[in-house]
Amino acid sequence: MRKLVWVLAFVGPLAAATANAAGLNVRIVDQHGTPVADAVVTVVPEGATARSGPAPTPETRVIDQKNLMFMPYIEVFRPGDSVVFRNSDNTRHHVYSFSPVKAFEFVLTPGQSSAPLMLDKNGVVAVGCNIHDRMIAYLYISDAPWIAHSGPDGKVTFDSLPAGPYDVRVWQPRLRPNKPDLAQTATVLGNADPQTLTFTLSLLPDPRTQFDREHTSY
Amino acid sequence: MSFRTRLALFFVAALIAVQALTAVLVYEVTRHELIREGQRQLGIAATAFARQLDDISDRVAASVKVLSLDFALRSAIAEHDQATMQSALANHGGRVGAAQMLLLTVDGRVEVDTLGVYARGSAFPYADLVTRAWSQPAAAVVAWHGHAYWMVVVPVFAPNLVGEIAAAIPINDDLLSRLQAQSTLPRNIELVAHNADDTWTPLAHGSDRNALSAGLATRRTSLPAQPALLEVGNREFVVQAVPLSRSRASAPVSAVLGYSVDEALQPYRSVAFAWAVLLALGLAVGLIGAWLIARSVSRPVEELAASARRIEAGDYSASRSMQRNDELGELATAFANMAEAIREREARILHQSAHDQVTDLPNRLAADAHIQSALLNDPLRPSALLIVGLGRVPEIIKTMGHVVCDRVIRDVGNRLRSPSASGFVARATETEFAIFLAGSDRQEAIAAGFRLLDALAEPYREADLALDLAPAVGIALAPMHATGANGLLRRAEIALLAALGSEEPIAVYDPATDPHRPERLSLMGDLRAALDNDQLQLHYQPKWNLAREAVDGAEGLVRWQHPSLGMVPPDAFIRLAEETGNIRRLTRWALAAGIAQAKRWHAAGRPIRVSVNVSARDLDDADLPRRVADLLALHALPPECIALEITEGAIMGKPDAAIAVLRRLADQGIDLAIDDFGVGQSSLAYLRRLPVRELKVDKSFVMNLHESREDQAIVRSIVELAHHLGYRVTAEGVDRASTLAFLHDIGCDHAQGWLIAKALSAEAFDAFLQHEREEVPG
Repeated sequence: MRKLVWVLAFVGPLAAATANAAGLNVRIVDQHGTPVADAVVTVVPEGATARSGPAPTPETRVIDQKNLMFMPYIEVFRPGDSVVFRNSDNTRHHVYSFSPVKAFEFVLTPGQSSAPLMLDKNGVVAVGCNIHDRMIAYLYISDAPWIAHSGPDGKVTFDSLPAGPYDVRVWQPRLRPNKPDLAQTATVLGNADPQTLTFTLSLLPDPRTQFDREHTSY
Repeated sequence: MSFRTRLALFFVAALIAVQALTAVLVYEVTRHELIREGQRQLGIAATAFARQLDDISDRVAASVKVLSLDFALRSAIAEHDQATMQSALANHGGRVGAAQMLLLTVDGRVEVDTLGVYARGSAFPYADLVTRAWSQPAAAVVAWHGHAYWMVVVPVFAPNLVGEIAAAIPINDDLLSRLQAQSTLPRNIELVAHNADDTWTPLAHGSDRNALSAGLATRRTSLPAQPALLEVGNREFVVQAVPLSRSRASAPVSAVLGYSVDEALQPYRSVAFAWAVLLALGLAVGLIGAWLIARSVSRPVEELAASARRIEAGDYSASRSMQRNDELGELATAFANMAEAIREREARILHQSAHDQVTDLPNRLAADAHIQSALLNDPLRPSALLIVGLGRVPEIIKTMGHVVCDRVIRDVGNRLRSPSASGFVARATETEFAIFLAGSDRQEAIAAGFRLLDALAEPYREADLALDLAPAVGIALAPMHATGANGLLRRAEIALLAALGSEEPIAVYDPATDPHRPERLSLMGDLRAALDNDQLQLHYQPKWNLAREAVDGAEGLVRWQHPSLGMVPPDAFIRLAEETGNIRRLTRWALAAGIAQAKRWHAAGRPIRVSVNVSARDLDDADLPRRVADLLALHALPPECIALEITEGAIMGKPDAAIAVLRRLADQGIDLAIDDFGVGQSSLAYLRRLPVRELKVDKSFVMNLHESREDQAIVRSIVELAHHLGYRVTAEGVDRASTLAFLHDIGCDHAQGWLIAKALSAEAFDAFLQHEREEVPG
């Protein structure tokens, strides 16, 4: 299981209630029952519309480009965070994004790192390389209080959630287009044992393999 | 139909039949094979075609996909730059040969349409392709406005899925023709859309425009998925339909591949034509050959038939021999041999029919013919026919047998040849030879007769045997005795008979002594005519009652005055009537006449009992008693007025049936008398069984009664005995007064004879009675 990203600032006001903390296990499988990795799960208390509390300290995360791949494939950002693209390959990479949230385009020579790009809006930024079609990365920008993405076991665990109702959403890059994120609203978490939610996703093939001849019909 | 025609027709018919059968067989086999081959090829071609289309589709999709990766295009799409997208798509569409390029949003709405068919934001109709394109390029063959298109939809990644590009690439006739040219596809290839009403709309076709489209357009059945034989527009095709990848939004499009059987058969047409020419030639040659062969067979057959007809007509001249080595030649030879054999046999039969086999002399028939022709040639020329008879021959046969007799006859024949000289010698019968001497008169004939007798004078000798032949000669002369051969022969034979029966060995025919004149045969016919025409008369001989010294009876005797022969003696014609079966009619007539006369006398008060003679033959007639009774009843005459006389011999040995007839007559009260008593072999004991009342002593006992003491004793004894037995006695043939006196003395009852009167006609009888009454009163 991938290490959870904790937003401690957010947790702070609720620390007193830690004794009442609840657990949430989210299990994500595809239509075949196979655990789905790289699924982003957001947990938002029901009724919370806007971000409350003090803004967390902006951070800068690096998306490395190594072996003609973006590493990591998915990175979660809070609004205000920045991203830096680093070229660790010995080829050039033409990094671009046409996403409305953040559009950019630049060429990185081997060993070069880009200037930090500030991500100020919620949303998903799909990043590609114009030279290498198979290279793709997703920057998931969200101000949800709890957010995590699944590892190869397809599981995400949230500990110490305050008891109460929550909206739990799941997003995955291979979800079919034009469908809203999978959500389970009004999930009431109590003090009892951790609750487990299962999301079954209907997924398209991984676009990273779309251009591989072995996976095409010709 | 002549044999020749039939033979020729058979040859030709056989030829035609064999050729036609072969042609049909070859055609059917070829056609069958072509269809099978067509099906096989079509199966391969259909698979290949589908694969080829898929390949092209994939290539198009790949091309479109490459376009979709163009960074400028992607950037335009991301930035929703309509003008750029429009121009870029049009430009790229030109590269891949697309008729229409569209940019679609990920949810299948039209963003850009290079043709402007779809409004921006409207739904792209092939939604299933849109969905399939989310993961990989999707392609389908769609029918649109009567044309076929590949609709290829590929996703646009930038780098995530931001939209889709749809390219419509026309599949037109040119493309199909190109495909055909590049591969071994059949010439009949079509794309058809399956309409909702089950009809088929042609969309495109290959290089060969033919009836397949038109035929399919109206076809409402499903198309065969496997190669199948279909008749499309009167032409046969092996057809297979291959469904092409489709979109649910479009009518299904199929590729229809057809293999024209007719076209496949086309190369064989020239073969068929050559075959027909060959058949015609063969037919002509066969006809001529058959005619010639038939002629060569029928000609000699006709000749043989003609020769057979000649043989039938009696012409045995060797039929024109045919110089042939075949079966017909053999037949002709056999015919000639047969004719020769028939000719020989006929000659032999003719010879045999005209010759005697023992002596080889002409036989009687030949002699007859020879003499007849000789007499006819010169009717007035005197000729003599000598018949040499051998009286001993029957004896020789009986004692020595036929073999010896034949040798004797042969010897006689040989001996007769030389003395006959110019005469015609023939064997007339078993024992007779005939020698015809043309131009000989009586003297010469007799001289010749003696010469013949001299030749036969020597006895026949064989080993220690010497047979006297006892020859005799009968001579008949022509034209004196007969003018025909038959008559001459017969008369000569009669003369021979006379000679054989006399001392004189030679006799010339004497008409006076011929007992065998032919007139005799006609006598019977005349008797029947006399019966029919009442030419017979019944005469009555009086019976003298010795006791009463008066006539009290009469015996009816038939008299026949023949119109030409005069009085015919009763013995002659009665025996003849008995021999020829006419006696019953005669008796019937005599009964009728006698009873009628008895009635007249009875009516006149004269008690004359009339006796009628009944023949032995009449006793076989069971009707006789009834007939007599009928006659008596007819004349209302008491039965005592008549009597019936039966000869002694007629009763002797008669079966009981005849005796029963007599009994019935006696029971009717009719007296029966035995005629001619004493000469037969009857015994008195036998007579006792018969219902007889009277015995008539035969005149042979009476004639000499005046001088023969034996006869006197016999007659006296008969009378005595008869009286003792209760019979009356009548003596016949009384012609002397002394006899009458004797009879009176011994007590005989009646006397009959010339002394009293001969048989008299009824009128004379009446006159006789009148006279007697006057002469001897009381």
